[in-house]
Amino acid sequence: MLEVAGLAAGYLGESVIDEIDIEVRTGEAVAIVGSNGAGKTTLFRTIAGLLPAMRGRVVLDGKELTRRPAHRIARLGIAYVPAERHLFPAMTLKSNLVLGAYPKRPDRATLELVYDLFPRLKERQRQQAGTLSGGEQQMLAVGRALMARPRLLMLDEPTTGLAPKIAQIAFEALEGLKQEGMTLLIAEQQVPLALSVADRGYVLENGRIRLSGTSEELDQNPEVRRAYLGVV
Amino acid sequence: MTAVVLDGIVLGLAFGLLGVGMTLVYGLGGVLNLAYGQMVVLAAIVVMLVMEDDVATFLAALAGVLAVAGVAVLLDLTLMRAVYREHGEERTLLGLLLTLGVAFVIAGLLTWRYPSGALYIFIGGDPVSILGVPMARGSIWASVIALLVAAVLLLFFGLTTFGRGVRSIIQDETGARLVGINPSFVRTVIFALSGALAGIVAITQSMSGPLTVNAGFELTTFALIVTVVGGLGSVAGAFLAGVLLGVVNTLSAHYIGQYITTIILLGAAALTILIRPRGLLGR
Repeated sequence: MLEVAGLAAGYLGESVIDEIDIEVRTGEAVAIVGSNGAGKTTLFRTIAGLLPAMRGRVVLDGKELTRRPAHRIARLGIAYVPAERHLFPAMTLKSNLVLGAYPKRPDRATLELVYDLFPRLKERQRQQAGTLSGGEQQMLAVGRALMARPRLLMLDEPTTGLAPKIAQIAFEALEGLKQEGMTLLIAEQQVPLALSVADRGYVLENGRIRLSGTSEELDQNPEVRRAYLGVV
Repeated sequence: MTAVVLDGIVLGLAFGLLGVGMTLVYGLGGVLNLAYGQMVVLAAIVVMLVMEDDVATFLAALAGVLAVAGVAVLLDLTLMRAVYREHGEERTLLGLLLTLGVAFVIAGLLTWRYPSGALYIFIGGDPVSILGVPMARGSIWASVIALLVAAVLLLFFGLTTFGRGVRSIIQDETGARLVGINPSFVRTVIFALSGALAGIVAITQSMSGPLTVNAGFELTTFALIVTVVGGLGSVAGAFLAGVLLGVVNTLSAHYIGQYITTIILLGAAALTILIRPRGLLGR
């Protein structure tokens, strides 16, 4: 479904990520793991069109996305939930969800689906997004992304700023989404959590793909265990 | 006293209508359009020229509104594109410089071609008594139009999908792009809307007295003050600030003197920046 080939991107002419090749198949959950500053966010921003690619290409279902503006890529079916969430703070929770379906009016079934996934959001639909707790804001960001019925959902550090218990709940919700057939691409520093939901993973280091494999393979890999799982 | 306050409200609604076109553009992209007053004057001159051909006032007004909306689209697709390519301080500075340039060009051309140009849409009939105060029909018409525009804008931004999209850009542009909104298209539409609003200002301003070709910079100044006090990008804020400033203006003119009013209004804007930088209803 998503193919990234030889992708390079960065800031001020300096590449932060380079020679990135990744593939995500329909219905899969794929994790991009790596430490802070490895280039996960740069990679996601480039796929989403917020950052121009310097080299390489991004293809979704045979359609070239490289160099398309972010709003086009969103409408073509990639929903990106950045770590900073980028909600509309002075609007109600419901308005945020409604805007997720832009430019269409939201259909009731999708709204119900989001409310079923996060019952908390339904309780607070009249509340201003800026007044929600961190966990609720994360739910809203995911909910808003789902409103467009995307082909691929990209989540950057979905557990940022969440207490461990809430992070666990967030990942259970992602597991639920996966069961319903949603294709997921998740960047996460918390490697065990990421591998628990993903089918496959890529390890990003200093802007390059260092390793890739199924979640079991990565989980058993001595290098991964030493660097990311705290196993000596 | 009632008369002074009523006059203040009439003036304030005019201020609000004047400020709203500037505040929307500022909220959407951080550009203060210093040519705004000149756009109003341009509309006035267009209406004046069309009316010279014995065209019905309403049609002439429509021509003025559409003409300036068209000029706004043209400006957006050329100069403003260059401005929006920049970010942060560069964008603000370039925006100020370029719109100031446009202001001088429009002002220069109009005063050269129509040195004594002025638009006066005479509304006849006896004054109407409101709360025992006789009010000129022109002022009442102008206020009704301003209120109608405020209502339409509030409904538009509150209820339509496009209006919500506009507000979303004001609140978080990246978030807006991620849900599939094209900010540069929305900016073009809103710049055209602000041009149309400038046209409406030209009409309402000329209902209670002639709007002359050299009124541009004064209008820009008042629009700036309303934008600062009301809060960037807020329609309700612009009208609320407009009415407050209008009443302050007429009260100070009545009790102190006309000479002091602009200074007091500028003071109110400065005070707003110091005490509540986001304005009355801005965020």
